[in-house]
Amino acid sequence: MRRRLVSIVLALASFAFGPASADADPPSLTVFAAADLAFAFNEIAPRFEKATGARVTLVFGSTGNFAHQIRQGGPADVFFAADQSFIDSLIAERVLLRETRTLYAQGRIVLATARPFGPRLTELRGLLDPRVRHVAIANPVHAPYGRAAEQALRNAGLWEALRPKLVFGENIRHTLQFVQAGAAEAGIVARSVASVGEVDWVPVDASMHAPLDQAAAVVRRSPRPELGLAFIQFVNGPEGRPIMKRFGFMLPGEF
Amino acid sequence: MSGTVAVAITKRFPGFTLDVRWEAEQSVLGLFGPSGAGKTLTLQCLAGLIRPDTGRIVVGERVFFDAAAGVDLSPQQRRIGYVFQGYALFPHLTVWKNIAFGLQGRPRADRTRRAAEVIERLGLRGLEQRYPRELSGGQRQRVALGRALAIDPALLLLDEPLSALDAPLRRALRDELREILSGWGTAAVVVTHDFTEAYRLADRIVVYEDGRIIQSAPRSELLWQPASEAVARIMGLSNLLHGTVVKAMPDRIQIAWRGHMLEAVNSPTRSYLPPPDSPIAFFIRPEYVRLIRKDRSAPDAHHMNLMRGRIVGEADFGTVWSLRLRLDTPGAPAQGDFDLEVEVPHLVYEILEIERDRQWEFSIHRGSIHVLPT
Amino acid sequence: MDFFPLWLSVRVALSATALTLLSGVPLAWLLARKRFPGRHALEAVVVLPLVLPPTVLGYYLLVVIGYRGPLGRALAAIGLELAFTPGAAVLAACVGSIALVIKSAQAGFETVDGQLEQAARTLGRSEWSVFWSVTLPLAWRSVLAGTVLAFCRALGEFGITLMVAGNIPGRTQTLPLAIYDRVQANQMGEANALALIAVGIVVVLLFGLSRLARLRY
Repeated sequence: MRRRLVSIVLALASFAFGPASADADPPSLTVFAAADLAFAFNEIAPRFEKATGARVTLVFGSTGNFAHQIRQGGPADVFFAADQSFIDSLIAERVLLRETRTLYAQGRIVLATARPFGPRLTELRGLLDPRVRHVAIANPVHAPYGRAAEQALRNAGLWEALRPKLVFGENIRHTLQFVQAGAAEAGIVARSVASVGEVDWVPVDASMHAPLDQAAAVVRRSPRPELGLAFIQFVNGPEGRPIMKRFGFMLPGEF
Repeated sequence: MSGTVAVAITKRFPGFTLDVRWEAEQSVLGLFGPSGAGKTLTLQCLAGLIRPDTGRIVVGERVFFDAAAGVDLSPQQRRIGYVFQGYALFPHLTVWKNIAFGLQGRPRADRTRRAAEVIERLGLRGLEQRYPRELSGGQRQRVALGRALAIDPALLLLDEPLSALDAPLRRALRDELREILSGWGTAAVVVTHDFTEAYRLADRIVVYEDGRIIQSAPRSELLWQPASEAVARIMGLSNLLHGTVVKAMPDRIQIAWRGHMLEAVNSPTRSYLPPPDSPIAFFIRPEYVRLIRKDRSAPDAHHMNLMRGRIVGEADFGTVWSLRLRLDTPGAPAQGDFDLEVEVPHLVYEILEIERDRQWEFSIHRGSIHVLPT
Repeated sequence: MDFFPLWLSVRVALSATALTLLSGVPLAWLLARKRFPGRHALEAVVVLPLVLPPTVLGYYLLVVIGYRGPLGRALAAIGLELAFTPGAAVLAACVGSIALVIKSAQAGFETVDGQLEQAARTLGRSEWSVFWSVTLPLAWRSVLAGTVLAFCRALGEFGITLMVAGNIPGRTQTLPLAIYDRVQANQMGEANALALIAVGIVVVLLFGLSRLARLRY
């Protein structure tokens, strides 16, 4: 009885060291992309796959986490950050290839409300409305869109008044969640993720905050740097640009 | 294999020091004394469960412990059978598995044979597949014994083997235990705080008090000649009394006590000659106080230590009556509201009609007054 | 629907639970039975993963097992990778759940009457044998309870995994990460389905184990 138990346990423990996944035969590309690119890239990636025959694995998350992971050897071939400062510091650390640094978009923030939950707002001042009990923004400490939201609110002279009402999301999708679920009656989110069913939004004047220049670069340790570069160029190319524009990004050449 | 057990150890704890030395031949040795005197501690040192600070423990020809030589055999190596207070039976194992527990490592046929033999000899047949929680107190005790005896130990240690049992059971099992011990022939050390138990089970008794030994003697010697008042107190002797020496001679001592002059034999174990007027302790066994029949004529000369008193209390113990006598002489009684405890068999109680007649003369033979050296 | 996260999570949880058992039970025994210098420090270290935010834990773990970290480099030297592999997910699950095994098992061992172990020693059993034949059989319920908790915790491990294994679909995206992803992408249907499956697994497990626990010794 005892012996059987031990051998079962040992067998299970060895599972940990089994083969990873069905990671496959066509050349594959792993893209670490900021959360606000989710909708846009979910359309762009399949097109790239069709055009090149490569398999693309998209991983969305927070730029800050990604930066740390890539530094520690994360398996990204190419990194699309929501804030170019992260790209630049990683280039300085020689983790990303300087020659591949490319601006791919400029983000926009919008004021969003969810139809079932809050009054429809048309300007930032509307956030002072007592019916708006919580305002969601991305965490200004580490999320670029959060920083931009803070800058905009400060410039509008609303920051101190709204502070007690603020709710922080970990990344821009998380922030949108709060609004969609009604946990916050309103929020400041990225234009690129705001186009979902129940959400209404109005643009926030871009001059109210520092520009959200978004850059990408290829990871030095990538075994397929040319594929990564190809993807960046695809996003900036004739197939990618219309999609990016549709999701509200300002494109290189336009800003 | 079994032979002499020689123990000479010390062990220091905050507030308590054990410092004992004794030897036992092939027999049953009793460690007797009040709780906390260090008896169980000694057993644990013998078994190797606790390590003494200094000293030596030898069982048979094997040195179990020698502080100076750096020898300290593990409990596994000592081959000692230990019957714990409360028995420590493995609750998750059957009687059979409990008894065979120490036989691991022997060939299977051997194990089966030995376990069956122990079960048979201890009258546990039919209980092999039961669990400890399904057994009576007496059965558990036998399983604990069997488990310890199955390994054919060089020495058997029993810690208060009967204290976990109810009083009526205790008496019956005490005799049974004695039979088992002598039947099995293994040398044994028994710890108990009950003198009757020690007397019944052991051939020789070592008296513990506060981490030290205050008497070591064959059981009858202890019974009749406790070495000191301390020992007598621990034994729970009745009629432990204090008087004043009138005159001490080699063979007898005259004692002034409660207005009487008593004559007692002197302690035979050593020459004890306290000066006159010094305090002296002595005890009188309750069953040796002799009530004098009233239908005889005047008291004979051979009645020694003649006294008169009144019964002020009594208790029926089934086969004997315990009476409390208060002397007629004025003054405060020696033991609370009475002076002497007297034990008479039921028959005597009835014949003398003690229930009605409370005033008595009585005598005590000088040999029944035992002097206690300080 | 993609079932990869489900199979990955089950494998990860089983492995992690097995590993925490193998490492946690001896540690629990040590803490229950032995006095040694640094004992209290060890107890604090054991409980630490329950106190620190998972992302913080993940951050520090990644520094150690990443390709620049001491452990990462040592493993690379013998051709092994840990960070960003399912192995890292197992590590994350272990770190998050080992305290549950250790504390439960330790409490169980502590309630076993020391005198029973003493008796076993006098009967000639080695320390190893005393553990297997007396201590563990009498404490198995506590160990089992801890194991169940650890499995559930491993199955639901999120924050540490996100950092050290990454949320890489088809490679290290475990069930909790997948659910989170679907929710973020507004695919509530799939998210709910996956969540329901997770709950289902746990319910079946707990049901099976409660039948087992009703057995006597």
